[in-house]
Amino acid sequence: MKTKSNLERVLESGHFAVTGELGPPASADAGVIRKKAKLLKGNVDAFNITDGQTAVVRMASWAAAVMGKEEGMDPIVQMTCRDRNRIALQMDVLGISALGINNMLCLTGDHQKFGNHPAARGVYDLDSIQLLRMVRDMRDEKRFQCGDEMAVEPRLFIGAAENPFADPFEFRVPRLAKKVEAGADFIQTQIIYNLDKFAEWMKGVRDRGLHERVKILAGVAPIKSLGAARYMKTRVPGMDVPDSVIERLQKATSKEQVSREGINLCVDIIKRVREIEGVAGIHLMAIEWEEVVPEIIGAADLLPRPVFAE
Amino acid sequence: MLAVQIKAKEEILPLVSSKRIFIFECLGCHDVYYPVEEAQKLIDSIDQEIVGRATLDYLCHADYDREYIKAYAREIERAEVILVFSCGVGAQVVSSLLDDRKVYTCCDTLYLAGFQGLTAKEFDCDQCGECYLNYTGGLCPVALCSKNLLNGPCGGSQGGKCEVDPDMPCVWQEIFDRLAGLGQLETMDRLGPPKKWNVSPA
Amino acid sequence: METHLEDYTKFRPKPAEEISDVVRRAGRMFVIACGKCYKVFEEEDEGQHNQLLETLGDDSARIAGHARVDFLCNEILSAKKIAGLELGDCDSIGVMSCGLGVQFLARLFERTPVYALSDSVAHSVNYPTDIGYHGVSLEADKCAACSQCYLNLTGGICPITNCAKGLLNGPCGGATDGKCEVNSAVDCAWVRIHERLGRRGELSSFGYVQTRDYSRPSWKTENQLSVQNREYRHAGFYGGFHPLEKKEMTADKRIEPLAEPKVAVIFLCQHLGKRAKPIVEPGDTVKVGQKIGEADGFVSATIHASISGTVVAVEERPYPAAGRRELAVVIENDGRNEVHASVQPRDGFEALSREDLLDIIRESGIVGLGGAMFPTHVKFSPPKPVDTLLVNGCECEPYLNTDNRLMIEQPEEIFAGIEIARRILGVDSVLIGVEENKPEAIATLSALSEKHPSVQVVSLKTKYPQGAERSLIKRLLDRDVPPPPRGLPFDVGVMVSNVGTLFAIYQAVARGIPVFQRVITVSGEGLSRPGNYLVRIGTPIREIIQHCTGGDVERLLDEYDVKMGGAVMGIPQESLESAVIKGTTGLTVLRKPAVPVSEERDCIKCGRCVEVCPMHLYPLFYGLYGKQGDPGKTIEHKVEECVECGCCEYICASKIALLSFIRQEKAYARSADKG
Repeated sequence: MKTKSNLERVLESGHFAVTGELGPPASADAGVIRKKAKLLKGNVDAFNITDGQTAVVRMASWAAAVMGKEEGMDPIVQMTCRDRNRIALQMDVLGISALGINNMLCLTGDHQKFGNHPAARGVYDLDSIQLLRMVRDMRDEKRFQCGDEMAVEPRLFIGAAENPFADPFEFRVPRLAKKVEAGADFIQTQIIYNLDKFAEWMKGVRDRGLHERVKILAGVAPIKSLGAARYMKTRVPGMDVPDSVIERLQKATSKEQVSREGINLCVDIIKRVREIEGVAGIHLMAIEWEEVVPEIIGAADLLPRPVFAE
Repeated sequence: MLAVQIKAKEEILPLVSSKRIFIFECLGCHDVYYPVEEAQKLIDSIDQEIVGRATLDYLCHADYDREYIKAYAREIERAEVILVFSCGVGAQVVSSLLDDRKVYTCCDTLYLAGFQGLTAKEFDCDQCGECYLNYTGGLCPVALCSKNLLNGPCGGSQGGKCEVDPDMPCVWQEIFDRLAGLGQLETMDRLGPPKKWNVSPA
Repeated sequence: METHLEDYTKFRPKPAEEISDVVRRAGRMFVIACGKCYKVFEEEDEGQHNQLLETLGDDSARIAGHARVDFLCNEILSAKKIAGLELGDCDSIGVMSCGLGVQFLARLFERTPVYALSDSVAHSVNYPTDIGYHGVSLEADKCAACSQCYLNLTGGICPITNCAKGLLNGPCGGATDGKCEVNSAVDCAWVRIHERLGRRGELSSFGYVQTRDYSRPSWKTENQLSVQNREYRHAGFYGGFHPLEKKEMTADKRIEPLAEPKVAVIFLCQHLGKRAKPIVEPGDTVKVGQKIGEADGFVSATIHASISGTVVAVEERPYPAAGRRELAVVIENDGRNEVHASVQPRDGFEALSREDLLDIIRESGIVGLGGAMFPTHVKFSPPKPVDTLLVNGCECEPYLNTDNRLMIEQPEEIFAGIEIARRILGVDSVLIGVEENKPEAIATLSALSEKHPSVQVVSLKTKYPQGAERSLIKRLLDRDVPPPPRGLPFDVGVMVSNVGTLFAIYQAVARGIPVFQRVITVSGEGLSRPGNYLVRIGTPIREIIQHCTGGDVERLLDEYDVKMGGAVMGIPQESLESAVIKGTTGLTVLRKPAVPVSEERDCIKCGRCVEVCPMHLYPLFYGLYGKQGDPGKTIEHKVEECVECGCCEYICASKIALLSFIRQEKAYARSADKG
């Protein structure tokens, strides 16, 4: 065990892991975090806290993580390169570890153009792969990026994201390999609706033996409405929503039925990705719909979650 | 060498209210992009007295400016405000030569890719001092990727386009295709180390 | 001369280990090096390449060859140059240039790996926050082209390029003794700004808070600008530029006949080739249209009296081309305007043979009236068959409306001239090229062309030197005329003729009127009666200017420059003593610049002259070798191919008199050719 991460422990002990996701509020309201954390508690092994997702200003990921920790959970701090140069990134890494947080997900970040401050300057001093390597070297080599040594290293279970559906598709497996090489312990994928393409990607992953070097958590999310499905299909870069998904939702006759069908679809996808060799768990993204998490996890036969003695 | 656009008159008029004006206008780069008519429109919208107007090529050339300043010494002396129509270089040169005078520019200078060379291009060089082109099939991710990524595309690359701007090609898709064509795809596996952003001389 | 040249070297060799590493994995490598730009231009030796070989040591055996290409980022010229290189069996291309050159070659050599052997360097205190571009001169001031100029708030000193932190709202706490904390060799930009604002009495305006908008302009805006700029500049043909047209002053003025001069000065050489022999003597009386000069050989032209009266002298007079005197027949007007008996309408000219028509043209003294003055009977007897007649109605020179007015007012006659020319040349296809700044002419000709199925009117985007034969042929037919001095349009099956010449052909053939008058535009500043005038050949410039200013012209040259022709190619007149010749397209009167043409500066290799040269030449070399007194070297740089359009000199940021160097070097080349 590299860290005290609950997620690492679940994965190392061979369980099919479940992670969730929590979006911090665009305000200083601590209550929101605590409420959402309670919804997730017991249903997931760890949960991500987004870092200015879609480049909209929200509560700092690490601050929300501390609150989640206080609720007795295992938070995964997301850390993007959009807003921080290597100096700020390393300072945050030290602080996060010192606060007792065990997981970090290294991302490049959504471009500022998409957020509520499009005039902001994007930093992008590092990219996500360089960030992974930097955090790993801090942990395993006790070195800062400049090469200087430190006395007490940050102990973080390091994650990365990968999108099997973006272009060029042929580069998506080699890119994963780069992330593994750079230091990723676990991977969370983009939300999967196109199972065939995901299976093809996983085959490539297995061909290179990557699934034995990194824990891959398949990204899943319930669809709340037909509009949301269409939006994801046409507007969200890097999302692959096949027509069959839209058609399945179209068959529902009321709004409630669409939501219900969205949940069923999500459960189906979980069951199917679980059968793909090399998939070590799922990452369930039910942002602003956290209340359905227990139901989905339950319906997918993933409850109860394993509990380890301290 | 630079393209300019004329500032809004709302920005200029308060600077020149009830003042005598002298105008410097640079046509040296008008073949690149200098909106002659819009410049005139702005000048026409100024109600104050224009005591003189010097039109020359290459206002960025301090030698030339000195000669014009000498030739128009009387008019410039009478003027309370000097307006400059040129890129930011020309405006700065005139300001430095008329150090104690109120010199204002009427232009915003636009960036034109490729123009630290000679021609406008769809590709660009940021002169970063640490050329990456040997690992990218000769396409520059420092200048052309929205996020300056050095290790391949982000998750937003789709249909060959950048997620940030649907009109903008994803340079990493282009790099991938180029390397594939060259039989050098293994180059994509290289871990690009963090960039030294400080290597260009100050 | 005080200079403010900054070193803007754009690239430096990569570290030795990196170069060796690249070369080892690159197989046999051909090295292409850019000659660098924005530096004082001096001929470079092999230094750059030798340094590379030295760096490589034993690995230098892997270098298959090398070449230098000036302005490598100029894709059109460089591609042409590289196509002519013997690359041998190399496995890769190595490049010494800034990143633009490397990327261009990587695009050009799609299937061959292209490697950078150099790193490009930006010159900004503030890199990487912003890159400081400079203008075409090498001044210390830089501009980051941020699209939101702050100079009006900062006393004209840019905080974006000059402050290490790019601060917009005042200095940080780090400046010591006025120096930047990041680089103590550099003045703190904000200290300078503060001082400047103090001197300007603007310190009170300091209370603003600025936040920069990094989102503008969008990629699309920038890219469109790049694409538009390229299309604009390369439209139709490579090179050229867009002068301010200034045609509106006379574009709508009808052609008016100007009173015959009291004395006409008719030069015996108003054409290319041998001077005509005078066939009148002082004391002879002559009538309008009477032959007074006989063509001397094939490449020569006949000369006619333009007024009736008495020959008072046959002597040398100041010629419109600067400094020259030429033999002229001087006629005193008897005021009777009697027309010579030879001037007779010719019935049934439609039935005349090709030879008869050429005879009439020769006898009528017709030469290229667009300004070239090449005898038309010679031009219309090409040694190779032609398939297309290009009628040149471009008139790309600023100020001039001579051809424009003719096309509007005499279109039927022009079409009749075209029919005659077609019969002589035996061509079916006729294209009339007119620049789009003459909409009325285009509409008039287009309407008429409906009756002439073989004639097509083409509207062209305005650009100088559109009217140059080669540019026009490239644009309208996409044919490349072989380079001068030997290549001519008939080599690609084309005959080009000016609309004025075709009008004159009609006049001569159908009406029996030889060239004793022509239309000119008189335009420019300081004229109370600018216009388009039908003037007699030999009318002194003074009389024309007098008519158009409506007063005293004696002091005119103190304040104004008079050019025969347009503003770009026109020939400056030292006095008003000269007279209208057949090639006079107009007179342009321009206020003398407040600052006289500046003395020339060192060439800084900005490459502008290369960008505008329609002949794909590198004019900067002509200036360099001209100054070094080594005209022989310019022959290597193809000076003989220059068509003297003057674009390079017009655009030169260092005000180098490139045309005079070129003319001198071409003369040398011609004599070297003969010797």
